[in-house]
Amino acid sequence: METAKRLYPATLDRKAREEIFGWVLILPALVIILSLILYPIFYNIYLSFFNVNLDGVNTYIGLDNYKGVVFDSFFWNSVVTTFLYVVFTTIGTTFMGLIVALAMNKTFPLRWLVRSLILLPYVAPVISVVFAWQFIFDPVNGIFMDITFNKLHLFANRFNLIGSPKAAVWVAILFSIWKNFPFSYLMILSRLQAIDKNLFEAAEIDGAGTWQKFKAITFPELYFVMGAIVLLRIIWNFNKFEEVFLLTKNVKVLSVYTYFKAFTGTMELGQGAAIAVIQFSLLISFILIYVKKVLKW
Amino acid sequence: MVKKKSLLRSAGFTVFILFIVFFVLFPFIQMLSMSLKYQWDWGNPSLIPRKINLEAYKELLNIDQAEKNLPDSIKNLLKNTPDLTKAQKNKIIARYKDTGSVFPFFEYFKNSFILAFTAAAFSGIIAIFGAYSFSRMQYRGRSTIQRSVLFVYMFGGIILLIPLYRIFVRLGFLSTPTGTFLTLIVIYMVQTLPVSLYMLGNYFRTIPYSIEEAAMIEGLGRFSIIVKIIVPLSLAAIMTVFIYSFMIAWNEYLFASIFLKGFKNLYTLPMGLMALFTSKNAIWDRIMAASMLTAIPVIALFMVVQKNLTSGLSEGGVKE
Repeated sequence: METAKRLYPATLDRKAREEIFGWVLILPALVIILSLILYPIFYNIYLSFFNVNLDGVNTYIGLDNYKGVVFDSFFWNSVVTTFLYVVFTTIGTTFMGLIVALAMNKTFPLRWLVRSLILLPYVAPVISVVFAWQFIFDPVNGIFMDITFNKLHLFANRFNLIGSPKAAVWVAILFSIWKNFPFSYLMILSRLQAIDKNLFEAAEIDGAGTWQKFKAITFPELYFVMGAIVLLRIIWNFNKFEEVFLLTKNVKVLSVYTYFKAFTGTMELGQGAAIAVIQFSLLISFILIYVKKVLKW
Repeated sequence: MVKKKSLLRSAGFTVFILFIVFFVLFPFIQMLSMSLKYQWDWGNPSLIPRKINLEAYKELLNIDQAEKNLPDSIKNLLKNTPDLTKAQKNKIIARYKDTGSVFPFFEYFKNSFILAFTAAAFSGIIAIFGAYSFSRMQYRGRSTIQRSVLFVYMFGGIILLIPLYRIFVRLGFLSTPTGTFLTLIVIYMVQTLPVSLYMLGNYFRTIPYSIEEAAMIEGLGRFSIIVKIIVPLSLAAIMTVFIYSFMIAWNEYLFASIFLKGFKNLYTLPMGLMALFTSKNAIWDRIMAASMLTAIPVIALFMVVQKNLTSGLSEGGVKE
């Protein structure tokens, strides 16, 4: 009772009460996000300077974890793989999303059905579609080998495309494009539908062709949406784990590399933490450049 | 001449649409087709099985498995002992009925469902109040909170995995099944919370403020306004957010694979599927059937909320 009085004295005006209540409502969400996202991130940075033992004793080793990571050629391989993966999946999903959105913005029979079918790869669980993809590229029974080797005779013998790291990264990229282009498509389509139709009519009166209309009207209208999509895609794919790891263990992007380092074999949690810190710094610097140069914020 | 050109164009357009549909659906068709094929049919590149094989589904869903699993000795025993009552016979059969040792689909399904449902429900409830707070109320620090919620998008699972694993091991939560299960619920809740906050916040802003003002004049407080007015008005959006969170939790593998490692009876469907794939029981029809059964609930849920979800997603990502 006393506390209630102190919290809500009769003199407390509506504005102040509103302020307190606003904080009360957001507090649970805030506490959870602070304690389970923000705190762990700082804790991760802390751990990266320690030799982390599973029995609970951490010993401070300065920059040794970072040295261990930076002088490991596997780490640099996985940096290269990650960049390859991020660049091509981002270009692929955005480009494919754009083309499909442009097509779906036209009217044709059964459009409603096609529009909802397109979203299926995006909503289906990763774990349930990876096996179908693995089967497609299966060296013995897969349809890819059947077409390229048996029917078209492109290769001298059957081989396991997902089995070799060099080739598997391209399968992983293709898979990611297939899985994620619907998201880009959806964003672009909803922006397309918001463009004022009068603009096109005016351009037609001026004698503009399809390409000119796209260049002068559609593309400028889409520029910022696409900029945002590319940004989100870079962030998400840079951190991507499941879509790569579940499809093939041979493509070691940074997340997968960290996973193996930290949770298999000798469980180098400290080194894993160091990689995660490096990965995050790379992402941040990349984003800062991107936001400045492309989005011009 | 002009007509011919436009005819060619529309034909090209149709081919393009068909190509997209084919590209999108092919892996799903492949999955369905393989789940229905007999082993001798695997090498056949055609997507239509020569003979439909429902064995994999029956096995996973535990249909008609009793007779098949009975060892011959038991079959003989049942046949040659006429004085057994029907109840006794059924009891004996029931002991062999369970095919759970290969892939206990229902158990994994149950685990996945409880995890995803609880996490999505809590995340939804917390998000309703949080989103209302920062989309409708005026106070200092509001926009900072709103922006930092978006900032959370930047952190991938892997940077949180190591510290969270460490924290929960230290707290001793990961040594018991119950603790592990609760930990995962909390983690899934956190992962879906930012998205839920964001989507609900966007929706609440579309509700006309005059409705709330009228309610305030009637003497309703903020809390009653949320419960009696905002929630009923945004049921569709709340449902959408709930299902979106449910899907995220249902599909999660990274945290489950580390936290649930030691507790086989807590495995979620993704964990179970991966374990099946790497086990000696891995055969294509079984894996594909299990994949189908994992995907179907999610796809069905998606169909329910498709319209709201697609507009919710595009409003969440496109800020103007």
